[in-house]
Amino acid sequence: MRALSVFSAKGDEFVPPSSVDFVLPPIFENIPFITKPILLVLLSVLLVSLFFSLSARKAAVVPSKFQFAGELVYGFVRKDLGQEILGHDFKRFMPYLFSLFTFILTNNIFGIVPFLQFPSFSRISFAYVLGIITFGVFHYVGIRKQGIKKYVKDIMFMPGVPKPVYILLTPIEIATFLVVRPLTLSLRLFANMFAGHLLLMIFILGGEHLLQGAIAMKAVGFFAFGMGIALTFFEFLVQCLQAYIFTLLTALYIAGGLADEH
Amino acid sequence: MSKRSDESAIWTILGYLLSGLLFWGGVGYFADRFFNTSYLTLVGILMGMGGGLYLVWLRFGR
Amino acid sequence: MTGTLNLVGYGLAAIGPGLAVGMIFAAYINGVARQPEARSVLQPIAFLGFAMAEALALFGLVLAFVL
Repeated sequence: MRALSVFSAKGDEFVPPSSVDFVLPPIFENIPFITKPILLVLLSVLLVSLFFSLSARKAAVVPSKFQFAGELVYGFVRKDLGQEILGHDFKRFMPYLFSLFTFILTNNIFGIVPFLQFPSFSRISFAYVLGIITFGVFHYVGIRKQGIKKYVKDIMFMPGVPKPVYILLTPIEIATFLVVRPLTLSLRLFANMFAGHLLLMIFILGGEHLLQGAIAMKAVGFFAFGMGIALTFFEFLVQCLQAYIFTLLTALYIAGGLADEH
Repeated sequence: MSKRSDESAIWTILGYLLSGLLFWGGVGYFADRFFNTSYLTLVGILMGMGGGLYLVWLRFGR
Repeated sequence: MTGTLNLVGYGLAAIGPGLAVGMIFAAYINGVARQPEARSVLQPIAFLGFAMAEALALFGLVLAFVL
């Protein structure tokens, strides 16, 4: 209790981080759209393209370490997300799947890289754009493969149901395919990044604040800092997993469009 | 399908339930506001959930 | 502190379905691991059970906003 009173006597009360902390001010005063997330996305594009073009430029039969690292990532996406899910026709979609995976992964990992420390996908508009692109791709593939009439009919009418029930079911099917699928895809990515960043902010900022307090506070502060470090590793896991899940579901949706049966 | 079909099935189930609730619940909600009643939202939610569960049964349960 | 008790209620209501989903998939994995050829029999049951449990969680979510 005494510690607490000393604490509040200082007059600097702890302000817990909230969603306001995600709205970053523009870097240059007079250009409103250049903010940190935009720059991070551009940096990630640069990094990914540079890394993979360099690692593939001097491709040799006996790979250098650099080439090996590039091929490891590509091989993972190709085998685990391409071949296994899309079957024999997977090569057409590899450029999209691979760039999606590396782009999301790089942007997510920016969340724990020192000095950058902001996952771009905790701004929801970036996640929406990726969701919309995937939405376009898997519907386009489905329509090209089956023809627009059959594709729409397959979506709207589940076989083996008495006719009046379609009034109940058809709106649900349309809502699932046109709204909920891309929405959940982008919301899952956004929510994980947002919550993870918020969690790290709470533990690290709160720990720092506690360390400046009285002696009993300092002990708790150490604990909070330790949790912050442990959660940073946990966040790394979540970030990799989210990039993987986004790409996996994209591949699965494309496979659903390619498959003849519903 | 591949052995990964489980993962997409789970998200598809969630999507069906969610969109059933949102669509028919939304219809019920606006019907409530239109007719100045208060029970249509509940009817809409139950109907949407029933439809969603029925779709899941049609697609995965048979 | 401001907020609504609905959200606390939803948090409590989500415990049950969370446990249920975990138990359903634990049983499903157990079954498939012991007898891989039973997969096609177990899969619809597991998915229907998952749908039922998830339906309760979504009910809670909607009612937290509507009520």
